[in-house]
Amino acid sequence: MLFVSIILTSLAGALLAVLLNKRRAGMLIPYIAAALSSAMLIVMSAPVLLGHGDVILSLPTYIQRLGEFSLRVDSLSAFFLIVMAIVTMCVSIYSVGYLREYENKYNLGRMGFLFNIFILSLCMVFTAGNAILFLIMWEIMSVSSYFLVIYEWRRADSVSSGLMYLVMTHVGTAFIAAAFLLMWTQTGSFDFTSFAGIREMSELSGTMRSGIFILLLLGFGTKAGLVPLHIWLPRAHPAAPSNISALMSAVMVKTAAYMIIRCCFGFLGVTEVWWGLLVLLIACISALVGVVYALAETDIKRILAYSTVENMGIIFIGIGAAMVFQAFSNGDSTIPYLADIAALALVASLFHVMSHALFKSLLFMGAGAVISSSHTRNIEKMGGIGRRMRYTGAFFFVGALSISAIPPLNGFIGEWMLFQSLFLSQTIGDPMVNILIPAAVAALALAGAIAAACFVRLYGAVFLARPRSDHAENAEEASNSMLGSMMILASLCVLTGVLATFIVRIVDKVSASVLGTSIASKVVGGITLSTPDGGFSHISPLAVVIVFLLLLPLVYLLSNRLGGPQRIMREDTWDCGTPLGPRNQYTATGHSQPLIHSFGRYVGVKSEVSETKSSSPLIPARMKFHQEVEPVFERYLYRPIHRAAVELSNRIGWIQMGSIQAYLAYIFVTLLVLLVVFR
Amino acid sequence: MNLIDGLAATFLLIAILAVASGRVLSLVRLYSLHSIVLGITAAAVAALTNAGHIYIVAALTIALKGALIPWGLRYVIEKIGVHREVEPLVPLPVSLLICGVLTALSFYIVQPIVTGHDILETITKNSLPMSLAVIFIGFFMMIARKKAITQIIGLLIMENGLFMAAYAVAYGMPLIVELGVFFDILMAAIILGLLAFRINRTFDTVDTTILRRLHD
Repeated sequence: MLFVSIILTSLAGALLAVLLNKRRAGMLIPYIAAALSSAMLIVMSAPVLLGHGDVILSLPTYIQRLGEFSLRVDSLSAFFLIVMAIVTMCVSIYSVGYLREYENKYNLGRMGFLFNIFILSLCMVFTAGNAILFLIMWEIMSVSSYFLVIYEWRRADSVSSGLMYLVMTHVGTAFIAAAFLLMWTQTGSFDFTSFAGIREMSELSGTMRSGIFILLLLGFGTKAGLVPLHIWLPRAHPAAPSNISALMSAVMVKTAAYMIIRCCFGFLGVTEVWWGLLVLLIACISALVGVVYALAETDIKRILAYSTVENMGIIFIGIGAAMVFQAFSNGDSTIPYLADIAALALVASLFHVMSHALFKSLLFMGAGAVISSSHTRNIEKMGGIGRRMRYTGAFFFVGALSISAIPPLNGFIGEWMLFQSLFLSQTIGDPMVNILIPAAVAALALAGAIAAACFVRLYGAVFLARPRSDHAENAEEASNSMLGSMMILASLCVLTGVLATFIVRIVDKVSASVLGTSIASKVVGGITLSTPDGGFSHISPLAVVIVFLLLLPLVYLLSNRLGGPQRIMREDTWDCGTPLGPRNQYTATGHSQPLIHSFGRYVGVKSEVSETKSSSPLIPARMKFHQEVEPVFERYLYRPIHRAAVELSNRIGWIQMGSIQAYLAYIFVTLLVLLVVFR
Repeated sequence: MNLIDGLAATFLLIAILAVASGRVLSLVRLYSLHSIVLGITAAAVAALTNAGHIYIVAALTIALKGALIPWGLRYVIEKIGVHREVEPLVPLPVSLLICGVLTALSFYIVQPIVTGHDILETITKNSLPMSLAVIFIGFFMMIARKKAITQIIGLLIMENGLFMAAYAVAYGMPLIVELGVFFDILMAAIILGLLAFRINRTFDTVDTTILRRLHD
């Protein structure tokens, strides 16, 4: 019943958005509807998550062959639904204030309509219990998000980014459809419940399973933005309005993680070790490439989008590790607690799904607030905004801390558990695993460190120091609805980190429903897995907070006591006789140079310094620094494919000669050949 | 049986004659004759199977395809002053050879259906390969002739062949379907006639090889 009302509320919101277009209420009611259906979604999913049985809604079906069109909320769906609903609720509230900027510029009715449809389709994707129904909803999700990406169609790059997104997402959908069709040939039904039987099919060949797995990885990897299928993500996410970027980065890419978990563990069963290793490898590359690109970027939303690539990499490292351990534990149950480590890796991955949804939507909202008040996306032209947008700055800071995995915030928990599961893998004696897992640990650590550097730079360049442009100087604080929604998310970032003990229990139930192994009883201090040999150190986020809260006043008191009261003098620093202005500040590009020098060249970041000579050999008249990011993947992977496709088309283009008689002859000859062959 | 086989053979011969004819007007006349033979076949089928509704179809065939459409075509030809020659892309003797090949091919294609004992039980089943041959010949006419008018007639001959095939397999289609198809054909003839007008007006010729210019 609740499910039906969720669907109806969203549809009503979409309809009202169209009817109330260009009226005052049209800016409010669609978003209230979206928030309402999100709230109902939480109410519906929470009991499922706590183990009160699945919710199933059967839709009327007319074609028997396609199976039963049912929407099913089980444990895994419920987890993703709650994460999604929290984000969509906050984004809905945020949109009310944020979209005021678009009034009289773009059609707000369209936004309200697509917004509701997009949220509804996301909800359907997470609950669809049938492959055909899933593909329909997946397509609605892709197309509605495409229209949202090109919402600001007057901006120069918006439509081309949208086109790239549309193409990439359909390539992905083609792979997914192929995988589902292959599964259908094995089970004879499109229902996900019958797909789950594939796990037990012992007669199914390994090649077939691997083929399906590769197709699924390609299809969902495109949506998840895994390297090298990520190229659409850093273009499409920033092109959309910020509330939509938040939804896309926080929720939509998670649909891929959801389906990979469901398909690999639920349907196929992880039989081959190399599947996990492949996922692990791709995920590590994604994490590293994503974060280095984020560091080289100066567009605030592109930084966040690249950071999404990185975080999806981290999530998939967890999934890949879980797959590796699960495969080993399936193959050989003599190795102790391998199933536990697999569960830990998956719990870590799921936890990071939640954390990333929370802090990335928070960061995108913050970015949206900053962009709409400073009218630029270039962080080199911002600066000092923290003084004029105090609350936005504070909430953004929480998000930045969280994404940099600073304990006790939620970003830390997932990564910490992931590290544990990777470290505990030394019991496996496989050489390939022994090489790749430590490499993954290194990649994760490196990505985490660079991400921290990246967000220090982002926060510093945007909110601290002196304004670098007039726009930044005249920035105004965001409206109350925007601040309120950001506050909810920021406090959730802190709460889910501090109260991780309880959340990990719930997430463990979800992963137990997938893997069949629960680790709740073996977890110490909330987030640390106790091993039989007990060789791992413990950390409790709650304790960290308490210690932190105790130490903070202590440090303050001590420093005051020992240092004594200081006389504060406000004077200019010594400036060599030239007055210091905003241009003397450390720029964002400058700040990232040490790391870019070390890692940038591997992903095509090129910089050059040119100088104009003057009469003195020591002092050049002008110096110029130029940095550009060569689109490595586009140039060396996609361009050749594109060129080959065009060439092939030109080769066979002569068939289309423009003569009616020739076309008729083609049809005629085909008809004759078919008739003779199949007579 | 022999009557229907004979009619079907005439039907095929007229189609081949149409391919052999070098003049547009005689082509239209042959089409008219072709349709009348089809109508007579339908009447014969009706008489042999005691199916009343086929008489209506037979009458409609003769009236519509035997008289009305040929008259319309003649009107179009006179109106836009089409030259008398059909201007073949494939020379007439070669066309005739190809028609022979197509006829043989269609006998080969339907042979398993016709000679198999329990597949087709109709008294008209022997006319199936001939009607298929007519479909092929009509199609070939569309390919091998330049003028839009000849292509229209090729399409109409194909369509006649389809009707004949329907009699061969199942004593024709249900009345409502036949009526629908008649209406379709009439519309198609009118539209194609109009199209020939437009092509003529735009290019000063009804030579469709000129449409190649529309190619980018």
